[in-house]
Amino acid sequence: MLALASAGVMIASLAACGGDEGDGGNGGGGATGEAWILGTTETVTSLDPAGSYDFGSWNLQQNIYEQLLVIPGGETEPVGDAAESCEYTDPQTVECTLREGLTFSNGNELTSSDVQFSMERNLAIADPNGSSVLLGQLKDPDADALAEGAIETPDDQTVVFHLNAPDTTFLQLLTTATTSIVDEETFPADKLLADDQVVGSGPYKLSQWKPGEQAVLEANESYDGERTPKSGQVFIQYFSDPVPLKQAIENGEVDIAWRTLSPTDLNDLEGVDGVNVIKGEGSEFRYWVFQFANKAVEDKAVRQAVAQIIDRDTIAQDAYDGTVEPSYSIVPPGFAGQKDSFQEKYGEPDPDAAKKLLADAGIKTPVNLTLGYTPTRYGPNLVDEANELAEQLNSSGLFKVTIEDAEWEEYQNLYKEGAYDLFALGWYPDILDADNYLTPFIRDGGFYANNYSNDEVNKLLDEELAETDAAARDEIIGQLQDIVAEDVPLVPSWNGQNVAVARDGMEGVEGTLDPTYIFRFWEISKS
Amino acid sequence: MSARSGSLPRYVAQRLLLIIPTIWLIVTFVFIMLRVAPGDPVSAAVGGKLDEAALDARRAALGLDRPLIVQYFDYLGDVATFNFGQTISDNRSLISIVVDNGGATLTLTLGAFLFALLVGIPLGLLAGRYRDSAGDVGIRIFGVVTYAAPVFFIGLLMQLLVAGPLGMPTSDIASPITKFEVEPVTHILLLDAVIAGNWDAAWDVFLHHILPCITLGLLLCGVFIRLVRVNVLQTLKGDYVEAARARGIAEKHVIRRHAFRNALVPVVTVVGLMVALTLSGAVLTERTFNWPGLGTQLYNYLIARDYAAVQGLVTFFAVVVVLVSLLIDIINALIDPRVRY
Repeated sequence: MLALASAGVMIASLAACGGDEGDGGNGGGGATGEAWILGTTETVTSLDPAGSYDFGSWNLQQNIYEQLLVIPGGETEPVGDAAESCEYTDPQTVECTLREGLTFSNGNELTSSDVQFSMERNLAIADPNGSSVLLGQLKDPDADALAEGAIETPDDQTVVFHLNAPDTTFLQLLTTATTSIVDEETFPADKLLADDQVVGSGPYKLSQWKPGEQAVLEANESYDGERTPKSGQVFIQYFSDPVPLKQAIENGEVDIAWRTLSPTDLNDLEGVDGVNVIKGEGSEFRYWVFQFANKAVEDKAVRQAVAQIIDRDTIAQDAYDGTVEPSYSIVPPGFAGQKDSFQEKYGEPDPDAAKKLLADAGIKTPVNLTLGYTPTRYGPNLVDEANELAEQLNSSGLFKVTIEDAEWEEYQNLYKEGAYDLFALGWYPDILDADNYLTPFIRDGGFYANNYSNDEVNKLLDEELAETDAAARDEIIGQLQDIVAEDVPLVPSWNGQNVAVARDGMEGVEGTLDPTYIFRFWEISKS
Repeated sequence: MSARSGSLPRYVAQRLLLIIPTIWLIVTFVFIMLRVAPGDPVSAAVGGKLDEAALDARRAALGLDRPLIVQYFDYLGDVATFNFGQTISDNRSLISIVVDNGGATLTLTLGAFLFALLVGIPLGLLAGRYRDSAGDVGIRIFGVVTYAAPVFFIGLLMQLLVAGPLGMPTSDIASPITKFEVEPVTHILLLDAVIAGNWDAAWDVFLHHILPCITLGLLLCGVFIRLVRVNVLQTLKGDYVEAARARGIAEKHVIRRHAFRNALVPVVTVVGLMVALTLSGAVLTERTFNWPGLGTQLYNYLIARDYAAVQGLVTFFAVVVVLVSLLIDIINALIDPRVRY
């Protein structure tokens, strides 16, 4: 108790200091709320936007830097951040106008030149841990460099992007941490900047950085945008394991625990006094992929029979204690153009219908299937999901399933080599657009190399990326989902929620729990 | 005396020279094991996100596509010039990891040793003195259980049964506020808090040490109990003890001055041997208590398949174990006239 009491006294005194400082400034400096502590098991690769492609890094960057656009909590469409506006002037050209008077927290002016510099160095550094791959529309196809003329800066306030190909998702890309704007007078052009020296223009600035232990953010007094911080100081404490994180939120050592506690832990915490489990819409996607190179599943009827049998409600309830939502499409709910194609095509789980599918195709039953999963990447509950799915298939009498598992590193090789007929994977989107669930998955075998290829799919993917009319694009995205339900390169399983656990007195948490998975520190306060 | 004083420096010099092949063997072993294990830093970080071509491009950028023998000799060259480079997964220098996180492991292991010595030795002495009594049996069972129980299990019990009711902290080396307030001078947080004269912070750090140190200390405690008990039993049978009794010296003086004191000499040797055990136990203890020490770092880098980090940290651990063993040998030679090299 003494420790908690003394910590509480110190927090209160520090919060008072933060408030005093804040009162003297503008924008972010107006933050007067009490300091609060976030606990997370996420890790941080780099605080330099050119050096990371992971949740932990991106979340800090979203709070430290400005991007041209931002997605407000609970919404899906980007609005201005550093930019007053960004608009397509044609399908391959985007023009952005910056807000007046932008400055970095070190006092340097932020201009269009900094925007160009940020993208250019990201592509030039092409860090092995980075996400420059997302800037492909601006990249020279033959080099790790910005394509000639890809970005123009006619004046200090204007940035014009010329894309390699029509791409309606580009505005969404401008909301990601990859496109964070850095100070060209501080960041080197050809290498990463040390984490403890990063400077941004976002609502918070980095006050202390202890790698793997904690980050301390303080309100950026020079920030005058819409993301005004409610608290003057935020502590982010990193945990290497969910067990001590659960203990910490239970004991009040942290104010919020966000990513990642298991469904079992979350259910336990539901009944703890002073602790609130808050659930928001998520965009995590869990699915089972068919390896088309394997004879067992090369016949479409076999894959369709699996899609006909799978009982997603039971998986969600029994394997995940009801903490996930059954998924009936490759595109999660909430995205433009989404439709539950698997629901429409297969309806309720029906082993008899599956039996007919196999019989009509002349397939001898039971079909031997090897089902693979990894227990070391997607949480401990995947083993329950794998067993539940195998049980559903076996009990139909149509399949004889062998379950195999492997540690994540080995698993990646095994599924590409065809060791499994059906294997589990998970996905979080880079951008909030349906295409992020389509192109990486179904164009020529997808990133998971399952050997599925369909010329019509490839053509439709090109069309939806180029289509500027929203209704027409939604139509194409719907067609693609229908084709996936017909060809079954994968079987959707469930969509995850964005869940945080907060102590009493924490406000604004619910508003930030949305499919972007951006934890908007500026919206959170402690009373 | 002159022979002994002449042989010890030679022995120390030999042992110091032996560090080189020892480290080479360890570096080679770790290098091979990491490459034999499935996966690499790229697949650990962005596997399941990018296609194989993109993954290969990143491997090439890190030089992981070069022949293993080339990578091996490059690495050996770096180690020979004390250039341990940077981690692959988060661009930290190996030196900064040891400096920033070594202090937490140091205070954890020292605290654990202190607890083990303060608890284990008296219990071992008592058990030996009152052999086969109910107390002896109880102490022996306690020693076996604490040695055999997994560290993470003891840690979880501590968190659930002790920390909760007493309101003690269950994770980390200090509260985030304390870590923010205390300027790193020595990078040993407890010491830095004292140097800063920040007694609230020092108390906070001390409280955070209690459960992790007891957890790790219990592992060591079992070893000390059994060792000291056996030594007491042996010394009580010694001729010099019989002689002391025959001279009419009071039993309590015989026990204290002759039996107990001599029974403690082997403990010094065992302390050296236990450094390796302690460091391995520290990895598990640090994980259980989210302790920001080298064990946690090693675990995280291992998961990330960060070759540079794992190789560097294991090499550092190996050097520590070798040097501590050497130091213990020297101390043994100095305190025990019978030791010869």
